[in-house]
Amino acid sequence: MIGIVRQWLVGLPAYLWGGWGAIASLLLLLASWEFASQWLDPLALPDPRTVLATLHGLLTDGNAWSELGVTGRRALSGFALSLGVGSALGMLAGLSMTAAMMARPWVTVLVGTPPIGWLVLAMLWFGASDGTPVFTVFVACFPPIFIGAMQGVRTLDGQLREMAQAFALPPLQRLFDLYLPHVLSYLFPAWITALGVSWKVVVMAELLATADGVGAALAVTRSQLDTAGSLAWIVAVVGSLLAVEYLLLEPVKREVERWRTLA
Amino acid sequence: MLKRLLAAPILLCAFRPLFLLAAVSAVFCMAAWLGFLLLGLPLPAVPGGPAVWHAHELLFGFTFAAIAGFVLTAVPEFVDGPAAPRPAVLALVLLWLGGRVAWSASGVIGPWPAAVLNVAPVLVVIALVAPLLWRDPARRHLSILWALLAWLAVTAGFYTDVLRGEPPMRSLHAAIGVVMVLVVIVMSRISMRVVNSALDTLGETAVSYLARPPRRHLAVACIVLFTLADVLAPGAPVAGWLALATAAALFNLQGDWHLGRVLLRRWVLMLYAVYVAMALGYALIGVAVLTDLGSVSGGRHLLAIGALGLSIFVVMNIAGRIHTGRELDTRRWIPAAAGVLLLAAVGRAGWSWWPADGALLLWLAGGGWLLAFGAFIAHYLPLYWQPRPDGGLGCEGVMDSD
Repeated sequence: MIGIVRQWLVGLPAYLWGGWGAIASLLLLLASWEFASQWLDPLALPDPRTVLATLHGLLTDGNAWSELGVTGRRALSGFALSLGVGSALGMLAGLSMTAAMMARPWVTVLVGTPPIGWLVLAMLWFGASDGTPVFTVFVACFPPIFIGAMQGVRTLDGQLREMAQAFALPPLQRLFDLYLPHVLSYLFPAWITALGVSWKVVVMAELLATADGVGAALAVTRSQLDTAGSLAWIVAVVGSLLAVEYLLLEPVKREVERWRTLA
Repeated sequence: MLKRLLAAPILLCAFRPLFLLAAVSAVFCMAAWLGFLLLGLPLPAVPGGPAVWHAHELLFGFTFAAIAGFVLTAVPEFVDGPAAPRPAVLALVLLWLGGRVAWSASGVIGPWPAAVLNVAPVLVVIALVAPLLWRDPARRHLSILWALLAWLAVTAGFYTDVLRGEPPMRSLHAAIGVVMVLVVIVMSRISMRVVNSALDTLGETAVSYLARPPRRHLAVACIVLFTLADVLAPGAPVAGWLALATAAALFNLQGDWHLGRVLLRRWVLMLYAVYVAMALGYALIGVAVLTDLGSVSGGRHLLAIGALGLSIFVVMNIAGRIHTGRELDTRRWIPAAAGVLLLAAVGRAGWSWWPADGALLLWLAGGGWLLAFGAFIAHYLPLYWQPRPDGGLGCEGVMDSD
């Protein structure tokens, strides 16, 4: 574990520097936005500088931080629940062919049910409490994590397993050197996908079901026809998602998947 | 007489007269410009005024001579083709000199002679290298041809504006963009040899340098987009975002170079500094367009002195030396001159920021430029005037030092 952390720290400067490519690409997106805003009514699409100024205002008067904190707490709670339950159940399902076969239609049902449907049910069950967005996030994030975990376990190399048995590898070593690296390489992309889903779904749930959080703030800007305000909140949500994904998850994912390039 | 002239060592290869003329014009034009700004000496009256004279001469005079000298030397080497014939080189030199005289006299004789004599040399260079680039089976270096055609377009665009009586500065701004593209393209070729050779010298076999095409393509695309926006809607916020994107793409490009202590080797560091100046120049332009901070002119001068001037200086010291049959110069004057050029770039950018402290910063910037290119003339004039020490009869040369 210490080794992984050290590797992560050593590779961090180069990784962060690699972020310039992503920044260039995002700035090109801002240029396209600016270009489009020149041809459209400011009410339909304000220019990026106005939106960023609005966001700056929200951040400096402290409003944005508290709303983002509430939204982040709900999204991460639902995501963490899903991560724990989905990964565990998925791995268990992957251990048995029968369980995997049986679980597939359930997952299809979960994937097929629109998040808005879950949201309505959650509102009936949990009312205007935190439970509504957390539950909706949990259900929306569950399928990709479950499938990722199941696939990871199902695709374990049987020959490698036999070899580990033949060499009588201790169970702990077997877990950390054989099973976990392989399963994690399936789980990590699934977690990242689910994290993206969690942010999107939590905002939607808040928009309809709660009185605070970014979603609720979006509902207010919508009712006031404040496009710049709406876009500022959207930029805040997307920005925080990008930060979590590229500063935290992606470097860890690279480290976990390093064995693939070495193999 | 003509036969003797054609046989003279100065015409042994295209870079000899052209690099020399580039350095001489760099010194002459900057001295005249400093004389105008700081001592009130007159400049030739040309369409657009003194600033246009200054930018025109440093781009279509100095920069073009350096580009022509490099392209006519490097392209035959890249594609294993014949070097430019000496009569063609002589004709090119005469046309270039004619272009200098005609432009400075354009206030008296009109702009037509200058238009013809500045566009014609570009056509000559394209005519000389296009067949080589096209016939190369893999056509790996066609991007050089596209950059030369873009240079032709900005030169022709400049004179179209002049002849129509419109402000011609936008073509000069576009010319800086074209040079930046060319610098990125050319440095990707040169750096592969320079950086890997430095790695060999250090005995570092675990890593190797690779100028990654996707990073380069992103940087070139950003420069092209910014240059187009800058010409079509100068000062518009779109151009500002594109300038910032270009800066980020150039920082991204520098990632290729982060291979440890090899970055501190002199040739590697000087080439790397070109990208740093280029990225900072575009960043400064972007910030200045989008906010009240900084100055667009400061950013452009960071590009023109720090990226364009320094890259030309370094490339002339590499290509302009090894193709005379000599090893690279290891003396200290080269890194010292490169450092002075970078200081000049910072000083000039600073002048745009704090014009109140103008004279000192301008002397610093102009003086640094004069020193660097003056030193180049002093060191290379004897070399170019003499035959090759190894008995070579043309442009051939090997590079096996760092």
